[in-house]
Amino acid sequence: MYVTVWIRAGDGKDLDGSGRVSQAMSVMTATSTLAAAFRSRPLLPALALLLVLTALLGSCVWKRSEQAAVLRADPEAILADERLRKVALAGGKPVYQHYCAACHGADGKGDQTLGVPDLTDDDHLYGTGTVSQIEDIARYGIRAHNKRGWNLAVMPAYAHKIPDAAEPLPPQTPAQINDLTQYLLSFTGRATDPAAVKRGPETYSKAGCWDCHGRDLGGDPAIGAPTLTDNIWLYGGTADDIRRTISRGRAGISPAFARTLTPAQLRDVAVYVASLAPTAQDSK
Amino acid sequence: MTEQHTPGAQAPSGIWDIHQTVGRRSLILAAAGAIIGLAIAGYGLFTAQGTRTANVPAEDAALVNNIPLLRADLIAQISALYSVPYAKASQAQKQKVLQDMIREELYVQRGVEMGLSNDDIDVRQALVQATEGQIAQDAMTAKPSEDELATWYNAHRGRYASEGMMTIHDWTVPAGADARQTVMRLRAGASPATLGLKSTGRTDDGEEFYFAAEEHLGKSIFAIARGMVDGAVSDPIRAPDGVHIVQMVHNRKPVQTPYAKAHDQVLNDFLANKVARLQDGNRRFLQKRADIKIASDLQ
Repeated sequence: MYVTVWIRAGDGKDLDGSGRVSQAMSVMTATSTLAAAFRSRPLLPALALLLVLTALLGSCVWKRSEQAAVLRADPEAILADERLRKVALAGGKPVYQHYCAACHGADGKGDQTLGVPDLTDDDHLYGTGTVSQIEDIARYGIRAHNKRGWNLAVMPAYAHKIPDAAEPLPPQTPAQINDLTQYLLSFTGRATDPAAVKRGPETYSKAGCWDCHGRDLGGDPAIGAPTLTDNIWLYGGTADDIRRTISRGRAGISPAFARTLTPAQLRDVAVYVASLAPTAQDSK
Repeated sequence: MTEQHTPGAQAPSGIWDIHQTVGRRSLILAAAGAIIGLAIAGYGLFTAQGTRTANVPAEDAALVNNIPLLRADLIAQISALYSVPYAKASQAQKQKVLQDMIREELYVQRGVEMGLSNDDIDVRQALVQATEGQIAQDAMTAKPSEDELATWYNAHRGRYASEGMMTIHDWTVPAGADARQTVMRLRAGASPATLGLKSTGRTDDGEEFYFAAEEHLGKSIFAIARGMVDGAVSDPIRAPDGVHIVQMVHNRKPVQTPYAKAHDQVLNDFLANKVARLQDGNRRFLQKRADIKIASDLQ
């Protein structure tokens, strides 16, 4: 039986000095001793194998129990619990990178050309950004053909003969769309046509915008209608962007991963996404 | 460096000497292998989704005849029903929602047993929609590449043009007037009022989108109008309500929307098309797989 031992020194060079040879010799001796021990105690290798397998099995069971704790916990309590948070974030990050980052970006900053929201701010289009709501969106999607998803409303296309197939709404003229655009820009001090801004509220009312966005333009997170008075824009906030949104409508989608991801993956990724947004503590 | 056994050295003995055939060793190894295999299989059997029977899996709130009721659904329903966070819901509220979910599951299972999918039209419609929806969901989980989207955009550029706009006058020629003469004088600069022309009132609100102009003018007059340049006066146009003359004030033809601006719409259209193709493919597959016999008089 031949045993060849190659030791690489810290500097990366092969052994060549006398001191290092003695080190190599001692390793060789240890190996020989181990081989001799295995020969004299025939059950030792089996025992070693058993130990390794037991350790592996124990590790699996421990990981499963940790994940089970995340699944059984109140979703909103996970981020506050150091142990659960660690498990969920470790599981959620790779899921996010694999399934969500293509649209939301690796850093979660979103993509305005697709109306993909920024996950790192504290503005939430659907719901209030709780872990359970995020998990619900990940599982059932938004306009993803899942009846449990968030499918209640779309942004109508007011420059079309029938702005919304689901609800009778009046199409708007180019002038009315301009009034609405100017009206919305006025909330961030960017309006350029005061007369149009003045006509805005009436146009807003007659066009039926209030039905989703509210009389106070505060939006409705239950149906994904954004607030219109702040400076957070899903599809961009220039006059051209707003005009296009009103004219052509919007209906962003988020896929339903109910059949793609396991419940554990869904919970983990929801926790991970929730962790990207600033907490109330951060905001202070 | 090498370690070499000298020819005279004592050979290892016992059941673990691999140079000797030992029946006991084979049995021990086979037994160990079997135990490990059974352990792995058992672990998989009792932990894989849908096969767990020993206890309620961590992600579920209950099992009803081994059909899981998701804990996440329970939480969502409690929040929706009572408008409170899950942590603040009382035990009674949780129990109420859970019992409702169990009741629903029991009725669904009973409905399947009774064959309601064969009898009840609502169940059938719901099943058809749900099956179609499932195909769509699967199609949407993968984001198409930018190349695919750009190719789609280039192949369907017409869809991504803005709606045209026009500001137009629409007059009717008074009875007895010479329509051709009126047109000639209009083109020469005469005012409509001096020619006795009356506006139809249908396009007096200023600039409007093509679809609205088509609605107001009617298809035949709109077809003429959309080809007119700014300032042009049409020939007399005969219509059921008399002879019309239209004058184009400003015609803004549809403008191609750049890919970057139409990105979201391109993605939606691409996915809608993918869903439609997959659903059609699924229908053909089901038809091919099925044993369908059609009565001779209906073939």
